[in-house]
Amino acid sequence: MTELVRRAGAILWKDLLTETRTRQGLSAMLSFAALILFLFTFAFGADAALLSRIAGGLLWVAIVFTGTLALGRSFQSEELAGGARLLRLYPGDVRAIYLGKLAGNVLLLAALELLLFPATAVLFQVELLPHAATLTLVAFLGTLGFSTIGTFFAALTVHLRARELLLPLLLFPALVPVVIGSVGATVETLAGDPFGRAGGWIRLLTAYDVILFVVCMWIFPVVLEE
Amino acid sequence: MKTALRVEGLTRRFGRRWALRGIDLEVEAGSVVALLGSNGTGKTTLLRVLSTLLRPTAGTVEVLGCALPDGGAPVRERAAFMTSEGHLYEELTGRENLRFTARMHGLTVERERVSAALAEVGLEDAADTTVRAYSTGMRKRLELARIGLRPVELVLLDEPFASLDDDGVAIVQRSIAGWKGRGATVIVASHRVAQASRCANRLVRLVRGVVGEDAPS
Repeated sequence: MTELVRRAGAILWKDLLTETRTRQGLSAMLSFAALILFLFTFAFGADAALLSRIAGGLLWVAIVFTGTLALGRSFQSEELAGGARLLRLYPGDVRAIYLGKLAGNVLLLAALELLLFPATAVLFQVELLPHAATLTLVAFLGTLGFSTIGTFFAALTVHLRARELLLPLLLFPALVPVVIGSVGATVETLAGDPFGRAGGWIRLLTAYDVILFVVCMWIFPVVLEE
Repeated sequence: MKTALRVEGLTRRFGRRWALRGIDLEVEAGSVVALLGSNGTGKTTLLRVLSTLLRPTAGTVEVLGCALPDGGAPVRERAAFMTSEGHLYEELTGRENLRFTARMHGLTVERERVSAALAEVGLEDAADTTVRAYSTGMRKRLELARIGLRPVELVLLDEPFASLDDDGVAIVQRSIAGWKGRGATVIVASHRVAQASRCANRLVRLVRGVVGEDAPS
């Protein structure tokens, strides 16, 4: 277990070092997310009531589309270094590769969300601070679910020529429970949770995250086989 | 005689194309074998099977006493494989690439160990330069330094002399002699007969996926 975490840490260290040097992932994600949010703001006009009602949904649209960009890049550095399958040459459990890449994607998305949530509050005129604790939990669970399944599919498609096309095709259907749960919980929380439904969405998200994590960890060793 | 690897009736197919058509090979521990043959004769495929990267389609493969593909884990700990395309991260420095390799092998990352491995291949001055700025020869030397980080019993080298000048070739040959001196078995796949046979004590020529010729160097 310790070795698994140590190796996952090595993958994470290497990927974060690469990202801090190139800043390609975060820059691309930020510009894309900003574009999505601004387009929605202009499209829906200045109706404050409407904007605050749809803010939760639009926020997650921005996170999912932007996050897909990050996922596509997460195994790209391995391909440039000769191929993700070469990571199999290292001894130990290959799940360390998955865990390291998953942690990298979660951190990258968390960095993006640190900017996206306040931007949404300003552009869509919603109050975040009174619900900060619940929103942080929802953001964490949503990001974890998205990254868990996304990292898996990114590894699965990295060797394919049509990976840019296949990744969203495989990912989006599998993401439906994560997106519905995240949007439901965010919308209810931002509205003050008058009907007490946010808890149900959070439980759905937690259950789906656990199932996804167990299944992906179980199948991952086969994904990197040649 | 201790056997480092034993291969019997090894075949490997990619779709409808047979890359290996029945390889029989036994290699004595501590020897240096040059695996020769022109492009497409199955050298790389054979090395990828021996390194545990590829599963054989049929046949028996035993490496360092472990039957593959099931016994791959101990082989990965005791063997090293240098691919022809390399496995280096461009945005990391030479030193950082070695630190990453050491961590993935579960080694304690000591600065001295990394520096010694870099110095052995003459890269101490470029240790803190990103690999993006390395020449082909420097990349090959860094690959050799990665292997030098830990004790290994089997070294698999795929086209180690490609794109190297005379100094680079000498460094590769010196590294091979070093591993041999420490008792490791070395398999060098190359289509450069003169350079590969100079450091080998056995020549094995592959022809269309089978052993066509097997002779002492």
